[in-house]
Amino acid sequence: MWNQVAVVGAGLIRFGELFDRSYEQLAKQAFDAAVGSVDHGFDPALIDNVILSTQRGTLWGQEGIGGNTIPSAIGLNGVPCTRVENACPSGSDAFRIAAMTVASGVYDIALVIGVEKMRDKSAEEGLLARAASGHPIYNRGETAPVLFAPFATRHMHDFGTTREMLGAVAMKNRHNATLDPYAHFQQEIDLDRYLSSPLVCEPLHLLDCCPQTDGAAAMVLVRADRAKEFTDAPVYVAGFGVATDHPALHEKQSFVELPATVHAAKRAYAMAGVGPGDIDMAEVHDCFTITEILDIEDLGFVEKGKGGHATLAGETALDGRLPVNPSGGLIAKGHPIGATGVAQLTECYWQLRGEADDRQVATRNGFALQHNVGGRGSGVSVVNILTTNEG
Amino acid sequence: MPVAITGVGAAAGSLRCEASDVADAWGTSARGRFAACAADEDTLTLAWQAAVRALEAAGSDPGSIDGLWWGTPTPPFGQGPSRAYLSATLRLPDTVVGAIVSGTDTCGVQALLAASDAIAAGRCSRALVVVSDDVLPGLGSRHEHRAGAAGSAFVLEAGDGPAILGAATTRLRPVLDRYRGSDEAATRDAYDGRLFREEVFVPSVVGAARALHEATPISAWSLPDPDGRLGRLIAKEVGAGEPPSAGPYAAFGDTGAAAPLLGAIAALGGGGTVGLVAYGGGETVTLTIDVNGAVPGADLLDAVTAEGRPASYATVLRARGQLSPAGEPVQMGVPPGGAGFVRGGAELLSLHGARCTDCGTVSTPPSVHPACTGCGGSSFEIVDLPRAGTVVTFVVNQTMPAPFEAPLPVVIADLVDGTRLQLQGLAGTAFQIDGGIELVLRRYARERGAPVYGYKAAPAATRGQG
Repeated sequence: MWNQVAVVGAGLIRFGELFDRSYEQLAKQAFDAAVGSVDHGFDPALIDNVILSTQRGTLWGQEGIGGNTIPSAIGLNGVPCTRVENACPSGSDAFRIAAMTVASGVYDIALVIGVEKMRDKSAEEGLLARAASGHPIYNRGETAPVLFAPFATRHMHDFGTTREMLGAVAMKNRHNATLDPYAHFQQEIDLDRYLSSPLVCEPLHLLDCCPQTDGAAAMVLVRADRAKEFTDAPVYVAGFGVATDHPALHEKQSFVELPATVHAAKRAYAMAGVGPGDIDMAEVHDCFTITEILDIEDLGFVEKGKGGHATLAGETALDGRLPVNPSGGLIAKGHPIGATGVAQLTECYWQLRGEADDRQVATRNGFALQHNVGGRGSGVSVVNILTTNEG
Repeated sequence: MPVAITGVGAAAGSLRCEASDVADAWGTSARGRFAACAADEDTLTLAWQAAVRALEAAGSDPGSIDGLWWGTPTPPFGQGPSRAYLSATLRLPDTVVGAIVSGTDTCGVQALLAASDAIAAGRCSRALVVVSDDVLPGLGSRHEHRAGAAGSAFVLEAGDGPAILGAATTRLRPVLDRYRGSDEAATRDAYDGRLFREEVFVPSVVGAARALHEATPISAWSLPDPDGRLGRLIAKEVGAGEPPSAGPYAAFGDTGAAAPLLGAIAALGGGGTVGLVAYGGGETVTLTIDVNGAVPGADLLDAVTAEGRPASYATVLRARGQLSPAGEPVQMGVPPGGAGFVRGGAELLSLHGARCTDCGTVSTPPSVHPACTGCGGSSFEIVDLPRAGTVVTFVVNQTMPAPFEAPLPVVIADLVDGTRLQLQGLAGTAFQIDGGIELVLRRYARERGAPVYGYKAAPAATRGQG
């Protein structure tokens, strides 16, 4: 992939419970932000392909979102548009697919846009209703926390991971979000408040969980050899990887590792020609605190079993050895599923360009990693690696 | 040719409620306690549990059973696949003969007699008789604090055995005697307890018992006790002292069709002649059982009596569906009448896995695994999964919309053959990593009017090593 595709614009809206705006309005605002961010200016008519990520149209009452919903909403009626739905990594996979449509030489300029309305329905009618979906017996009662809490139970049992370590993830990401004007939650939490939050799915408590958030994010991707038409500081797509794993929890070999992440990361590192030690910062999938601990182990940032200890020691803080989720992550910035990956990549883009204001981290090597994992059995993972280095 | 009882089993609803708790709510008083079904239990799960225990006690391979009779006033499907479901969950051959006997509280004894007759006639050689009862008492009705939920099961075979079925009699009277109706709120006619006692119940039961005793001296009795007082009166009239059947009545309340047979099980541990009198629906039925030695499984009745967990009246009402939260419950993604259950029904009820003939990995359930989860191969043999294992990891879900009830344990377990499975855990139980579990049949949902069944994990310690 090296130096075939460049990002020249990225934007998002402040995440939250956006009851006052429609799906289409969120999309338009994120689109305008991305287009408006292009340093040398950008005519949207140049876009010759759109990849849309929306994971759950059912959460806002429209079951049949097609590729035509977004072009109409952003004023580009007629442009090619394809909707990607691939569980929690939908946004990051949409980015990967958009990049490939450019890398293939078929299109010069692509838009990737992620939009999700999580809160047009109540939790009971929305995300929690998945307790009754899937296999009528083997998946019954399986709300989203059930997909990750078994890993917390086992990680705590096998490695001595403690609630204080899980809490360190939550407190770090809540702190980072106070520096991110786009984050859903912008207040610190302390350990007492974390420890006393109510049980959601034992052993996970409320403050171990990301919120349900509305949001949208968009990025403009161009052929690398045309990047300088749009900006003097493009960010390049260095590599990506996608991997799958069996969809049922009972098909997992291990409850302290997510193999989809391991394999997606290996493929992304190989394509980019880098290793975990080259990464300056990462935006990873922290739908629950335990997920971030699994991620930083499975991505190779720390040894297996040490994720909780490393977080407690501050290794992943803004000023740590490898800052993780400077944006606040899913836990604090929010997780509007289809938009999440695109928003994480936007944070990476800003960090690599030195535009992250008070949450700016040191970018010595010029590599940022973005990661999602999700779906039944956490069986889909996408890793994208961005770089400022020209090949 | 004699027909022998070679094994017995019992089960009861896992909620145990004090009668006084119910009576307090209605401004009356009552003594005793009763067993009620938890939200995931019903006459099928009670029948399954009792039958599994009877088969184990008899040492009978389910594949050797060729007759299945089920006595229950309230089959899970009013007119539907109740017996086919029970047979599948017990892994009996799909050619098993038999019938559901219903309609009165004597249906359990009638099922036993029907199976015995079929064996004597050569229609089958080894029959399973299952009796289960779980009526829905009307709110505030006179038997609400007495109606118990329980099951019993018997393995019958031609030939000699520890207990031999003896003579039976039946006497009918066309009287309206709904002392134990299901969903009685629908029946608004006044009920005269004194009339029933003096003119119907006492003369019928005492008369039948005396006749039985005159024909064959009885050494141990199973006598009916619908209200917690009539049993003593009957026993005194018959000279039965404290009959063995008093034990199950004290523990479970009046379990209707299951009661005469639970009473018989209580009397099958020793020797002598057991005399059984059952009454219900204008029918009085008697039966003698000649006991030569302890019947396998009879000694486990005490353990069943000790099972269960205390429950308030409100808990019982919620479990029975008589107290439910406002709002629409979330619908199951797979309709119970849809193709998914036609394709996957048998593998769920019989708990099948697909064992890869190349690498040995078992993928579950077979219908969604055309390729092996271990090696990707596509050559399988369908196997019965074992019902015991250990916990790999677990959670307790606290946050779900109706009809789900928190706290709900979800368990990932390795079965003893190495199969890994995700299942709900029984409500009210606790799990730990590496702890032993056994799988028990439970009703996962009542969806669009139809019950949906599957297996749940129960900590092995609560029910003995499974």
